Amino acid sequence: MKWSTVKLIFSREMRDQFRDRRTLFTVAIMPLILYPLMGMAMLQVAQFMREHPTDIWIVGGENLPSSPSLIEDGEISRNWVTEKNQKLLRLQGSGEDDAQFFSLIKEFKENPEANTGRTENPGSQLVDRLLEKQMQDRKVDLAIVIPNPIGSPSAIDFNGPQAATSKIFVFHNSAEDKSKIAADRLRVILDRWKHAYVENTLGENSVPPWLIQGIEINGADVADKQGKSAAMWSKILPFVVMVWSLTGAFYPAIDLCAGEKERGTFETLLSSPAKRSEIAIGKLLTVISFSMATALLNMFSMAFTGLFVYSRMTAGIGGMEMGAPPMASLMWLVVALVPISALFSAVALAAAAFARSSKEGQYYLVPLMMISMPLMIIPMLPAAKLDLGTSLIPVSGLMLLLRSLIEGHYAQALQFFAPVCCVTTICCWVAVRWVVYQFNSETVLFRASERFAVSAWVKSIFNQRHDIPSLGNAFLCCIAILVLKFFIGTAAAGIALESFIDLTTITLAVLLAGVLAPSLIMALMLTTNAWKTLKLSLCSIPVACAAAIMAICFHPALMALTSLVMTIYPPIGDMSQVGGMFDTIMGSAPGFWAILLVMAVAPAIIEELAFRGFILSGFERLRNKWQAILLASLFFGMAHSFIQQSIVTAFVGVILGIIAVQTRSIIPCMIYHVTHNSLTLILSMIAPSRVESSPVLQNIIHSPDGNGFEYTTFATVAMAVIACGIMAWFLKLEVQEPAAPAAEIDENIKDVEFTPAESAV
Amino acid sequence: MIHVRRLRKSYQDLQTGTFTALDGISFDAMPGQIYGLLGPNGAGKTTALRILSTVLKPTSGTAVVNGFDVNKSPEKIRHQIGFVSCNTAIYDRMTAWELVRYFGQLYEMNEDKLQMRMEGIFERFQMNDLRNLLCSKMSTGMMQKVSIARAIVHDPPVLIFDEATSGLDILVAREVLRTIEQLADQGKCIIFSSHIMTEVQRLCDRIAIMSHGKILTEGTIEDIVERYGERDIEELFYQVIRESSKEKRKPSTAGA
Ligand SMILES: Nc1ncnc2c1ncn2[C@@H]1O[C@H](COP(=O)(O)OP(=O)(O)OP(=O)(O)O)[C@@H](O)[C@H]1O
Ligand SMILES: [Mg+2]
Repeated sequence: MKWSTVKLIFSREMRDQFRDRRTLFTVAIMPLILYPLMGMAMLQVAQFMREHPTDIWIVGGENLPSSPSLIEDGEISRNWVTEKNQKLLRLQGSGEDDAQFFSLIKEFKENPEANTGRTENPGSQLVDRLLEKQMQDRKVDLAIVIPNPIGSPSAIDFNGPQAATSKIFVFHNSAEDKSKIAADRLRVILDRWKHAYVENTLGENSVPPWLIQGIEINGADVADKQGKSAAMWSKILPFVVMVWSLTGAFYPAIDLCAGEKERGTFETLLSSPAKRSEIAIGKLLTVISFSMATALLNMFSMAFTGLFVYSRMTAGIGGMEMGAPPMASLMWLVVALVPISALFSAVALAAAAFARSSKEGQYYLVPLMMISMPLMIIPMLPAAKLDLGTSLIPVSGLMLLLRSLIEGHYAQALQFFAPVCCVTTICCWVAVRWVVYQFNSETVLFRASERFAVSAWVKSIFNQRHDIPSLGNAFLCCIAILVLKFFIGTAAAGIALESFIDLTTITLAVLLAGVLAPSLIMALMLTTNAWKTLKLSLCSIPVACAAAIMAICFHPALMALTSLVMTIYPPIGDMSQVGGMFDTIMGSAPGFWAILLVMAVAPAIIEELAFRGFILSGFERLRNKWQAILLASLFFGMAHSFIQQSIVTAFVGVILGIIAVQTRSIIPCMIYHVTHNSLTLILSMIAPSRVESSPVLQNIIHSPDGNGFEYTTFATVAMAVIACGIMAWFLKLEVQEPAAPAAEIDENIKDVEFTPAESAV
Repeated sequence: MIHVRRLRKSYQDLQTGTFTALDGISFDAMPGQIYGLLGPNGAGKTTALRILSTVLKPTSGTAVVNGFDVNKSPEKIRHQIGFVSCNTAIYDRMTAWELVRYFGQLYEMNEDKLQMRMEGIFERFQMNDLRNLLCSKMSTGMMQKVSIARAIVHDPPVLIFDEATSGLDILVAREVLRTIEQLADQGKCIIFSSHIMTEVQRLCDRIAIMSHGKILTEGTIEDIVERYGERDIEELFYQVIRESSKEKRKPSTAGA
């Protein structure tokens, strides 16, 4: 790769983008204008909410005690409010027709025993309606009703009829924000007044006021101001940076690829001496620049606007404390932005390279966002913290690392620096490879525009059947299995598992309806040769034996992998309880053979038919058999519900895929799968006495903590070596049936020979 | 010079399988000659020219351009050719001068030579008033001129034109054709596809008539005229295509 060419392409693309008003708008103008505008709007709204006067309708004001007085000269007493707020509370005295409400409220609201269920009481509801109407007519936000005289603290007769609690009703309309805010505001004032009233009453009756205080509970926040603002910024800023670096990468990427295809300039560029990798890298650098610029501008613009707005809204919203984002945090963000932008730009560019037009490119943004959003949201969850498990998740790990850096937990950050760096580097590398691959692939660059018509498509599915399924069929089958398994599994989760019969029913229902049915139906309807599609031909005896032995020998290594995965991603919830339930269910089984049949044999046979049969046959249309195997294993893993299980299953899927591709038969796969499943079951259920009495088993499995058996390290390594040997043997097997199109091409190349003599005309 | 031997190209389509756009074509084009590719829409002309300009890889067969094989050394070929594709492939947000210069730089020309060459080209094509005009503000004819200027800036021995005159008015088309003729006189090997029979008749030394990915007839214009006993080249084209479709119907061999 020549860097001068890359630079040339990069500088042209940059200039091109700078001349594009749309790009400039999204990258530069929008963040610079958007946040200040949003801030201004927020300030305005806050202003409106604070400054707006509240109208209050008081019914029965004469019932209030004279001391401490709530109302003085038609206004709330200055004892309970500041002067400014006093002006904002406008009181309306009661009119002549208030008497009727007075009695209505007295009747329906005051006596809780008479109308227990408030909402069910039609009288009470009627009063609500009437009040709502009255409040609207009078243009008031609140209505305060004091139905009965409240005695002055000095004049309370403890034995008289006044002994019951006095009541004040505050009616508000929660459908109107203004009314709700007014109610909250008034409640604070009434509380202050009530407190004074109670204190006075107690004082009058010579009870020390502190008695009702009981024990005062004091809370204090020990976080320093710096720490508090860091905690908040550490959540918001990485998210903003991530979202904008993806968005900022996307639009230039579309213009650089799809736009160039649209204008037809791609062709001329490809016929020039610039190599495709040089073109790809030049464009990638441009996209990265724009992605970083967008993210940075947004970050700074948001941080400064936020600071400004919050400093103006002194009260703060929801008690959130806002300080300046620590300078160090901005620095860490800028450092982390480089790999983030590189990753997102590469993904966006690769996706955009696939699009035929800018319009088509736009459609890819939403799926891309949907895929990356969960990765960005995980770190925002309250429970998320940086550990080995999370540090291995692509984008999330980086965000969590960033968070601990911003919060100043350097020791923790340092600990997981290496895994996060590794994962991020690998992701970036894969994404960049993908971009270069896309630019080298002419099926991507010169995709024919297919006019999509549903009827024609359905017809073509049935008319153009081949002996094995197409790539699309295979994907369709995967999605059908995932969806069906999800729904059947969710439905089954509601059924209480009590006996082995229940377990059998549910397991078989999921397997038969969710896995077997879609693949069998598709094999019969969409292909002409179900036998070949499902790879039902028999295999030789050595192959069958090899598969069984390989399953035994790989088992310890896979178990070790399982426990490794379990330590990295510890299962959530209480597993011991599940284990107990499992034991009782298994206890009700008619025998171990039944457990094996349901838990090992049935899944093995059915899953093989689906994943190594139909799906792998479809994926084998990809030129590269490894791509096919990996893709099928990925879906095989995804079809298992727990992430811990999925990871290990995907590995097993690769082994099974290799067997299937090399032997062209599903029988050895089934043998492997049954053996693997059975061993897992046996290992979890084997009786300790059995092991102790056997000299061989003692060397292979042991029970380090007296709680279930594990393979010994020696056995694991030794058996894995044997397994790898068998795997090598499988890989050396002649693939019996070469793919059809390849043969055709070879034939053509053979008889093409260019002779100079022929060309002389 | 260009030698094409049994060139085949199939497009992979995930839905419909493979589609054969070129079905083993062979022909030769010599320096100083203009070679015309004729054929109805979808005949495979663009596909053939794209393979010659190394934008696409052939499925099988070979093509040798100026001594280099498209399969083995496409990078070398790219220095030898100038390719004008069917849509005036122009970057909207560049001026004519910037665009031509950019391609000159891609071809690794040194600055002085590039400057001189560009002055010469802009002079000859009377494009000096376009120098600082953004391409998005140009008419089709202007764009086509820029496109040709871009293709010849590095003075390649082989030029590939795909429908160079489509969408141009008679005056500009004539100018473009004259340019092509001049380039041929300079000893360049030119291959050229077109739908306009009169310009083919005027310009080309040899032609090939294609349909459905196959060359139906090939040779100098005089040869073909003699072979079919038809003076008017448009009639001739019509006759050739009709004959081939008749033949096709008889054995009823469905295409791939
Ligand atoms: N990327 C592609 N994928 C699939 N099929 C394609 C692709 N490009 C072209 N084709 C098909 O190949 C055939 C030949 O196309 P080509 O563009 O070479 O024809 P052409 O002779 O240039 O036609 P025109 O005169 O309309 O320009 C057409 O039937 C077309 O549908
Ligand atoms: Mg064409």
